[in-house]
Amino acid sequence: MKYDTLVIGAGIAGLQAALDLAEQGRQVVLVEKNPSIGGRMISLSKVYPTLDCASCITTPRMASVAHHPNITTLTYTEVKQVIAQPDGTYHAHISKKPRFIEEDKCIGCKRCEEVCPVYIRDDFEHNLGAKKAISIPFTNAIPQFPVLTPDQCTWCGACANACPVDCIDYLQEPRDIFVEVGAVLVATGFELTPFNAKPQYGGGVLPNVITSLQGERLLAPHGPFGRVLRPSDGKVPDSIAFVQCAGSRDASLGVPYCSRVCCMYAIKQAMLLSGSLPTADITIYYMDIRAFGKGYEAFYQNAKAMGINFVKAKVGRIRAGEDGNVFLRIERQEESSQPEEMNHDLVILSLGMKPQWNPKTLAWDMETDLDGFVKSPDAPMDPATTTCAGVYACGTATGPKDIVDTIIEAGNAAMVVGNHLARGNA
Amino acid sequence: MSNLEPNEPHVGVYICHCGGNISDVIDVKRVATELGLHPNVVISREFPFMCSDAGQKLVIEDIRSGKINRVVIAACSPMLHELTFRKTLQRAALNPFLYEHVNIREQASWVHKGDHEGATQKAIRLARAGVEKILLQDELEEIQAKATKHVLVIGGGPAGLKAALNMAARNLRVTLVEKSSRLGGHLHELDTLYPSGESASALLAKLLAQVNESPLITVVVGTTVTAWDGFVGNFTATLSSGATVNAGAVIMATGYDHVIPAGGEYNYGGDPRVTTLPKLIEHLKTSAGKPLVWNGVPVKSVAFIHCVGSRQTEGVHAPQADGKVNDYCSRVCCTAALHSINVLKARQPDLDIYDLYRDIRTYGRGHEAIYEQASKNGVLFFRFTEDAQPEIREHTVVVKDILTWGEEVEIPADLVVLVTGIKQGAVGELIDMMKLPVSSDRFLQEAHPKLRPVEVANNGFFLAGNCQAPMDLVESSAAAGAAASKIAALLSKDYIPLDPYVARIDSEKCTGCEACIPECSYTGALFMNEGTKKAEVNAALCKGCGACVAVCAPRALDLAGWSIAQMEAMVDAMVTEVPA
Repeated sequence: MKYDTLVIGAGIAGLQAALDLAEQGRQVVLVEKNPSIGGRMISLSKVYPTLDCASCITTPRMASVAHHPNITTLTYTEVKQVIAQPDGTYHAHISKKPRFIEEDKCIGCKRCEEVCPVYIRDDFEHNLGAKKAISIPFTNAIPQFPVLTPDQCTWCGACANACPVDCIDYLQEPRDIFVEVGAVLVATGFELTPFNAKPQYGGGVLPNVITSLQGERLLAPHGPFGRVLRPSDGKVPDSIAFVQCAGSRDASLGVPYCSRVCCMYAIKQAMLLSGSLPTADITIYYMDIRAFGKGYEAFYQNAKAMGINFVKAKVGRIRAGEDGNVFLRIERQEESSQPEEMNHDLVILSLGMKPQWNPKTLAWDMETDLDGFVKSPDAPMDPATTTCAGVYACGTATGPKDIVDTIIEAGNAAMVVGNHLARGNA
Repeated sequence: MSNLEPNEPHVGVYICHCGGNISDVIDVKRVATELGLHPNVVISREFPFMCSDAGQKLVIEDIRSGKINRVVIAACSPMLHELTFRKTLQRAALNPFLYEHVNIREQASWVHKGDHEGATQKAIRLARAGVEKILLQDELEEIQAKATKHVLVIGGGPAGLKAALNMAARNLRVTLVEKSSRLGGHLHELDTLYPSGESASALLAKLLAQVNESPLITVVVGTTVTAWDGFVGNFTATLSSGATVNAGAVIMATGYDHVIPAGGEYNYGGDPRVTTLPKLIEHLKTSAGKPLVWNGVPVKSVAFIHCVGSRQTEGVHAPQADGKVNDYCSRVCCTAALHSINVLKARQPDLDIYDLYRDIRTYGRGHEAIYEQASKNGVLFFRFTEDAQPEIREHTVVVKDILTWGEEVEIPADLVVLVTGIKQGAVGELIDMMKLPVSSDRFLQEAHPKLRPVEVANNGFFLAGNCQAPMDLVESSAAAGAAASKIAALLSKDYIPLDPYVARIDSEKCTGCEACIPECSYTGALFMNEGTKKAEVNAALCKGCGACVAVCAPRALDLAGWSIAQMEAMVDAMVTEVPA
């Protein structure tokens, strides 16, 4: 199949770029490795500084992409190889992973999910909840197809028996797809810096030390518990701490850079927590508060006025306290430098951003920078350009950034990709 | 299989849970049941996310089954999803304007969190009003306005240049208007750029060469826009030269001004040792490689003070000209100051540099390394709070440093550099003329701060660079590209679709009294036909404000989609009691 552009990644960057290109009349093939489009944004609670519910503002973009006549969306599909052609175009080898259902028959009725007897960890809830071994990934997933997890399925046959349209296919194999495109846009996004990178913070060991994305799910309107509870014992936390720069600005972790979003998302989560738990004490331990975007400083000042405690301190160690509580050993950087031990019910580590994917796995001559993100050799004037002609990048693939900055970059990338295609046709 | 009488509207009502945003407060089942009692409502359902694919499919299937021919969805604000659901109707081959969006989130569940019964009753009343309105709705058609394939870019700084080049790459003609005598904007002031260290002049020369080479870009310098008329697809700008430009869309790339420290702030203007970061950068640019000499005196020690004109607090800082303080962060100054510090240190390693800050915000790609380098260069950092500003004394600066537990530290300083922020440029007249919305920080207001940062609520206007918010060169370039991308889509067809909610006139009823004419705020939207002596409406220019309808005694004027009959029916529905 021939398309004007291959967009890799259907998070908010890929969605926005695909929409812009499609609106300009370009044919786009959008490839997403997860079973649904929507990326990280669809899993967030609310977004700063507007406090719009993330589901409410992401789903319209997802629906517009899914229904756009100029966009072909391939989910649960990975790009295996991209080969430059002598004429400047690219051939891509894409592999569609088996969902173990026939998509053209499935009606999304969820009967399979209802009858499945096997519960597995729910990756969408960052393991805070469970889902069935065959299930639709989340409420507002697009497309609404279930996915069977073969490693944990007992092959009991219950889903196949229950399916009213007989679409369960236990023998489904990966399927190869080949596309020819005029340009490639890399919008592969980020992953969190490793939870256990600092063993002294107890990430992954202490049950009431959670990641910031777990914090998002706790606060999401349809999250794993439907309310804010701490994971170990279901207690409603009364004292919650955020540890800033828990995965960034630390050369010892290989992440010397600032991850740019953690200050603001911690402030936002703190505000949402204080909304749902009005009597709880909420403390943010930080180095510098980086509220640099439009309306962000006012957001930060509002959080202070709401009574959220901002403590400039380094957190040295986090250990288990009594009854599931968590002790933080801190050294204040203002007032006194005496080490102190603070007691909290729940601790959220403000983890940073790492690239989700290394383009070199595709054997391109596409370079990454020292920070591991895609290199933008022509920034400042052309931030979407990469070291590969005809291949462009945007969003967190080129470094940490928040949603609004990602949307701006995605728009720019669509423009630059369109310019490249226009040159080719001239 | 349609079983509908053409004259009898059959309404489908859908109540959205919004994943708990609505259903946690409002009894959505009761709303659906109550609405189902209306004689014209044939389907009444509730669903977790109406905007999801599954929710939209539900509506499509109900329409296709022939059961309904009008749709009311009670959900979030129409700002978010009215267009989503109009498209849903379109996919089901139903006129998209036979859709009514009822807001029971912002207008009910969110604002009446503590009153579940009251919120539920209000939702029922609002949804009923939606049903009554859609019963009286006509099958409207979108208005098509001509798309002039010419773009006006206002401002010839890097954002404007980049926007113009992008649009020329798509064969769109561009007129680039710059009020000063030369293109390039603030790029002329800069020496080397962070984080790459490349030369600003070389970069500008490259950009200008590209603009000059493009046959599609017409540059006019020393020129301003003096009059403004028209609408999306067909604007007319009158320039100070007297020329007019006909453009389908406009990019605002009007840039920023440096904040000048208020009278006496840090002795600026009084003490010759006190300068600003832009002035230091200008000096660095013209004194390449030389040690720092200020006012003829060799400099041994420099103190930088951050957040001058930014992150201000009422009661602490003197207000700006409009009486408000600059309570925002100017985003670029931390990195710009540290970059200049590193340039100074590279020239003159024995220079003592002190950096007085509130928070160091080196957020961007490669910025933290600049901060690291400054630390390695031996720069000493002091942190102050907004209520304890550093004080300038003779040859020293005194700061209450909270990193050393609030100790008062006296720092030697031959030169004090105020790291000044960024403010909206002098574009007041222009934006009044264009009727553009302005944010509380005086920068131009985007259509949505998260999702639509380069668009404006006014159709046909787009924002590139610092006129929207402080940003650095990489970010300005990206914003210029994003704005150009929206225009490339807007002007890709020969016409621009517009909403049909405009005034319409029943010429039989019009008495030609002309009472409506002076009420209209939009030039050309409402006028007297000299032949018939009756009022007429230009649908492409009318904004549907309804001012003319209100004064029309014979009721000849009405608003399509918001008629007086519809309003009356809605009010009746809202005041009807809801059973407890």
